[in-house]
Amino acid sequence: MEVNPPKQEHLLALKVMRLTKPTLFTNIPVTCEEKDLPGDLFNQLMRDDPSTVNGAEILMLGEMLTLPQNFGNIFLGETFSSYISVHNDSNQVVKDILVKADLQTSSQRLNLSASNAAVAELKPDCCIDDVIHHEVKEIGTHILVCAVSYTTQGGEKMYFRKFFKFQVLKPLDVKTKFYNAETDEVFLEAQIQNITTSPMFMEKVSLEPSIMYNVTELNSVSQAGECLSTFGSRAYLQPMDTRQYLYCLKPKKEFAEKAGIIKGVTVIGKLDIVWKTNLGERGRLQTSQLQRMAPGYGDVRLSLEAIPDTVNLEEPFHITCKITNCSSERTMDLVLEMCNTNSIHWCGISGRQLGKLHPSSSLCLALTLLSSVQGLQSVSGLRLTDTFLKRTYEYDDIAQVCVVSSAIKVES
Amino acid sequence: MPGCLSFPQLSTHCPKLGSMEDAKGGDQSVTEGFPPASVGAERVTQQVPQEDQGQLLYHEETIDLGGDEFGSEENETISEDSHNFIDKLNEHMMESVLISDSPNNSEDDAGDLGCLQDVVEPVEGNADPSLASITAGEGMHTPSNGSETDTDATPRDVSDMTSDSKASLKEDSTQEEATAMPVFEDAGTEDLTPRGEKAPGEEQVPEASSSQSSKDEPVPVCTIFSQASAAPAQPHLFLHDGFESQMVKSPSFSSASEMSAKTPPQVVRPSPSLSRFFGDPVSTNSLASGFFDSFTTSTFTSVSNPNAGSSVPEKSSPLTASMGEKALDSPDCSYPAGVPRSESGTSTAAPEIPDSPRPFSQIQTVFAGSDDPFATALSMSEMDRRNDAWLPSQSTRDVLTAVATQQCGTVFIDKESLTMPGLRFDNIQGDAVKDLMLRFLGEKAAAKRQVLNASSVEQSFVGLKQLISCKNWRAAVDLCGRLLTAHGQGYGKSGLPTSHTTDSLQLWFVRLALLVKLGLFQNAEMEFEPFGSLDQPDLYYEYYPHVYPGRRGSMVPFSMRILHAELQQYLGNPQESLDRLHRVKTVCSKILSNLEQGLAEDGGVSNMTQENRQASVQLWRTRLGRVMYSVANCLLLMKDYVLAVDAYRSVAKCHPEQEPQLLSGIGRIFLQIGDIKTAEKYFQDVEKVTQKLDGLQGKIMVLMNRAFLHLGQNNFAEAHRFFTEILRMDPTNAVANNNAAVCLLYLGKLKDSLRQLEAMVQRDPRHYLHESVLFNLTTMYELESSRSMQKKQSLLEAVAGKEGDSFNTQCLKLA
Repeated sequence: MEVNPPKQEHLLALKVMRLTKPTLFTNIPVTCEEKDLPGDLFNQLMRDDPSTVNGAEILMLGEMLTLPQNFGNIFLGETFSSYISVHNDSNQVVKDILVKADLQTSSQRLNLSASNAAVAELKPDCCIDDVIHHEVKEIGTHILVCAVSYTTQGGEKMYFRKFFKFQVLKPLDVKTKFYNAETDEVFLEAQIQNITTSPMFMEKVSLEPSIMYNVTELNSVSQAGECLSTFGSRAYLQPMDTRQYLYCLKPKKEFAEKAGIIKGVTVIGKLDIVWKTNLGERGRLQTSQLQRMAPGYGDVRLSLEAIPDTVNLEEPFHITCKITNCSSERTMDLVLEMCNTNSIHWCGISGRQLGKLHPSSSLCLALTLLSSVQGLQSVSGLRLTDTFLKRTYEYDDIAQVCVVSSAIKVES
Repeated sequence: MPGCLSFPQLSTHCPKLGSMEDAKGGDQSVTEGFPPASVGAERVTQQVPQEDQGQLLYHEETIDLGGDEFGSEENETISEDSHNFIDKLNEHMMESVLISDSPNNSEDDAGDLGCLQDVVEPVEGNADPSLASITAGEGMHTPSNGSETDTDATPRDVSDMTSDSKASLKEDSTQEEATAMPVFEDAGTEDLTPRGEKAPGEEQVPEASSSQSSKDEPVPVCTIFSQASAAPAQPHLFLHDGFESQMVKSPSFSSASEMSAKTPPQVVRPSPSLSRFFGDPVSTNSLASGFFDSFTTSTFTSVSNPNAGSSVPEKSSPLTASMGEKALDSPDCSYPAGVPRSESGTSTAAPEIPDSPRPFSQIQTVFAGSDDPFATALSMSEMDRRNDAWLPSQSTRDVLTAVATQQCGTVFIDKESLTMPGLRFDNIQGDAVKDLMLRFLGEKAAAKRQVLNASSVEQSFVGLKQLISCKNWRAAVDLCGRLLTAHGQGYGKSGLPTSHTTDSLQLWFVRLALLVKLGLFQNAEMEFEPFGSLDQPDLYYEYYPHVYPGRRGSMVPFSMRILHAELQQYLGNPQESLDRLHRVKTVCSKILSNLEQGLAEDGGVSNMTQENRQASVQLWRTRLGRVMYSVANCLLLMKDYVLAVDAYRSVAKCHPEQEPQLLSGIGRIFLQIGDIKTAEKYFQDVEKVTQKLDGLQGKIMVLMNRAFLHLGQNNFAEAHRFFTEILRMDPTNAVANNNAAVCLLYLGKLKDSLRQLEAMVQRDPRHYLHESVLFNLTTMYELESSRSMQKKQSLLEAVAGKEGDSFNTQCLKLA
């Protein structure tokens, strides 16, 4: 069998087969009716075929298991299983057989053999069997290195190796997007795309938040006491299908208050994804820590604490603003100015002193205003001036209110 | 895929995966195509770069939560604008996230392939120069794990590496790599081009039929004429020129054959157009026999089909064919001297309504055989009507009405709307098993292989059935071809005008069904093509009013419609299959609703007996169930599992007796998807249903499902236990035997697994030499030793003794 002449024939043969899950045999049903020429023949042939389902021969999906037909694809997070068989092809007893299976990845080399003890002897036509399992944790080229050493009857020490190369592919494409609510809540939308070639059952997609946040999953709705998935009965993802998961993150009280605001890049948490494919072949992945750039608020942040959504035309209403000093160490001395716009008219004194505001501290401010125009109106025209630096911060389009005529209001 | 490891984690404009753009080579085929069981590894990598598209779409889908309108920062004049802007951009872009299993790996940007070299070297110790060369070699390789053929056959061991020269090692490694796994030659469809374009006609008419055809020579047309006039008792006597029978043409008469049988006086009514009809020389050859045909054709055709339940010898079948040909071929028959063509009003340019075989001698046989032909005819026609009922499309209906009323002399029909089938390949005879034996076992062994071929059986339906039942389907296809050739639809006849009979269509059905069974889908498609959508007017009995007087409905067997629809899914057009199946389903539902409204199947007025109506409803419900089954199977093939499950559930409503099997099947579908929980739910339903019925079958089903569930939970030991339990109850259960053996392999017990399969095959080779079992067996042989060839060859010998020429030799993996 050896092609290269200098090579010496080995007494043992090493065979490796990847054990993906077996598949179910499908048959091709061909039927006819009794009045047709073959009569019952076609149906009888199907009944005699052991791969059809007894009593429901037309059902395509049979019960017969067939072994994997090729190497297939292997994806990150799946378990690589392989049968390693060392067979004594010769007619002599071989001694001290040591079979070693290593997996070489781009970053490390792992030993996968169940036992590292040598087998004392192997009779002709006998096998040493081993099934190895390894959860694949790296993408890219992997090489399974199988080494066999043994001693012949003549006492000669023999050694050979075989290399089996395979590529580990990415199974999922995960994209994330953050939405910052005006409150401290953050919404995370994760798009998960199946980039394999087979349907994928998503068993679990959850967000493990970092210590700063509490998470609420928004992927199910409760209906009549039952928790229904927003994806309906379609629990699986076809190849190239994408699904969106939504999570709401709330900073824990202690963090929200201690820091005043969460600034800069913060760690939100990571997604934990478990899926299954053919006959329960399992895969699991975690994303790296998802990071979110907290929106920049400049030196002074003005946020709304309270605002009515609907107000009456030409009637004063109240809003509550919160002013936070976001600078790192500078104490500010602020002056508030209120400028009227076409529709918004501020009540009260413009240009009043707000007093000193220390770094990372905030103050609440109740303001009164009225609108002279109906419809959806934007609240604009607040100006804060830092008297120390002579710098003015402008706040426009802080919020919208719906202005309705008072007559309608009364009716409702 | 170099660079696939280094995804920027927090980039702003999503330039990631840019390095994979080169792989983008437009591989849409993967998503469109019908994904085969095995897709090469490299195809997957090409699918990855869909990023751009994803982003484009994404802009439309933003959810307005922390939207701009709330953000006070937007108008903040002083804050760092540029930074802000990027923030905003960030919000609209999806970030590609680095996925990794362990947090440790996630942070470091692991290098690409080139990096592998560096890592390998220190690890390898004294062997490092050689390994370095290996990786270099691999670098040049495309990552084509899946598609490479088995390297087992030529194992080149990289042994004694240090002593070997670098160069030879490099060569070594490149050939050695990766796929020691058995690679199944992608099955596809067998490449069966016609072997040599033989003259089609050769030995087409077997001896039996040629002797028969000589018999019909004494029935020339003129004789019939004289006979007709010489027999004044016959109603046809009244049909001189200028007379017309309204009855024959009336499109509204229902259950016509009975009527015509019962009320011959109607025929006498004068009608000008009928005279033309009978004046047509082509149809003249059968004034007398034409009348008899009104009873006998149906009897005759069903007689020739032995399953129809009548008692006439089966030998008659080839006769029809040969005589039909005679009638068509011989100019004497078609154009009798006495009748000039011009008078007939037919034009040879337009295909006239073809005449069908009306074997005179046959009629006599029938009469001799049955005591009461009228009664037989009546009951047969009731059954025929029920079976043949079909609703033609509007255009076809128009043609058929025109034929029946003969409005303007001969009906001119567009050639395109006629069915003109012919064999497209002459001979697919052959025996792959024998070929393999010749190759591997030598001529002597191959000579022992004896299978029936088309010539070694009776050239009739009897021989055909014999070939089918002993699984010599290739030979059976061939015999169908011969019989069709005798009918004038042989090789090269496609596109030539011809006529159809019940038998010719049944032959086509058998031939095409066998081609599908053999997996020769392309061939079947080629020969199906002239049949169009199986709705051409000449496929209806009404088209041949003088051959099948009063008979209505479609000649196309219902099963052929199913086959016609299903074929497309095997050719990779499941959508077309679904369309066709739904058309069939619509007709079935319409017929059922007609029946429920007290009408005939085709919507006409009917005076069916309650009994007949019930039988008809029963038949059409069964047919509707059959279509639903096909729809469900097709959806399963399309991997549209949600719809497939729904479809199977509605099948269960049509066939309540199959409910446990169907529920189990649905459970297996969920297992296949990976949804173990739902699968379990269905399996529990099966247990509930089967509790009511005791018996072995129910118990086995429950155990089987439990075993599958354990398989889904990766527990091969438990699965094996349940399969073994089934074997205790039913030791001959092939599925349990095979599945238990498969479990043993996953448990690392190759030898035990082999023993189990071998024992099973030896016990009853006639039953267990099944494709799937043999495939498993050969796969294990390959895994077991380098001498798998010998064992495979002994399997071949076993197959040779038991299996017919339809055996799929690919599962032996010898080639």
